[in-house]
Amino acid sequence: MPPKPHRILLDRVSGYADEAAAYMRRRRVSREPFARLYYPGGRASDHAADSLAGAELFVAAGRLIEVAGKRPKP
Amino acid sequence: MAQIETTVIQEARARDTTGILAEMADVEMNGVVSGEMAAGALAYLAEMSPDLRGGAILAGDGAVLAASGRPERWREDAAALLEVADRAGAEPAEQVHIATEQGEVFALRHAGLTAVAVTERFALASLFFFDMRSVLRDLAAGGDGRGADAA
Repeated sequence: MPPKPHRILLDRVSGYADEAAAYMRRRRVSREPFARLYYPGGRASDHAADSLAGAELFVAAGRLIEVAGKRPKP
Repeated sequence: MAQIETTVIQEARARDTTGILAEMADVEMNGVVSGEMAAGALAYLAEMSPDLRGGAILAGDGAVLAASGRPERWREDAAALLEVADRAGAEPAEQVHIATEQGEVFALRHAGLTAVAVTERFALASLFFFDMRSVLRDLAAGGDGRGADAA
């Protein structure tokens, strides 16, 4: 038996909503700030913004970003 | 910081690339790098990386060889960043990558030199580190940072 027309419409709308929610989730994660240090031999470590080292790294990075200013216009 | 699968994949790629680069032979400093050469190398880095906002190249003792304006501030702030990075681990960090809402900061120590750069958000980290490393390697070997492109 074919589905009722309003069911098709609801499915389509909820499909789009799911896609949008997934996009927003991915976007939020990719925009998350991070501080990552790499060591000789390929070892790496992440420092959360709420850790002492992480907070210091973000402050130091913020100062460098301030010095660099905006991107020069071509 | 919470990690999810997509981040892990990115991290694995960066880690593997770092591992590959770590296996490449290091070039030792081949004498004194002039400010002029360092400035040329920084200009070349900016040419290669359209996301670059500004940067500096520092000697092993922390002196600024070239910077995109305000060398004194670059010296102080780069030293502060590297000092914090070194304190965060058991050994000195070779590369630093910090991403914030305002931009991204990269620092790389190689062959007795240090490069620090600030880019727009979402710059390609592996590629950027590769470019920084090749510029420092060429500078340390007595080149102008352009490597094979110099010819």
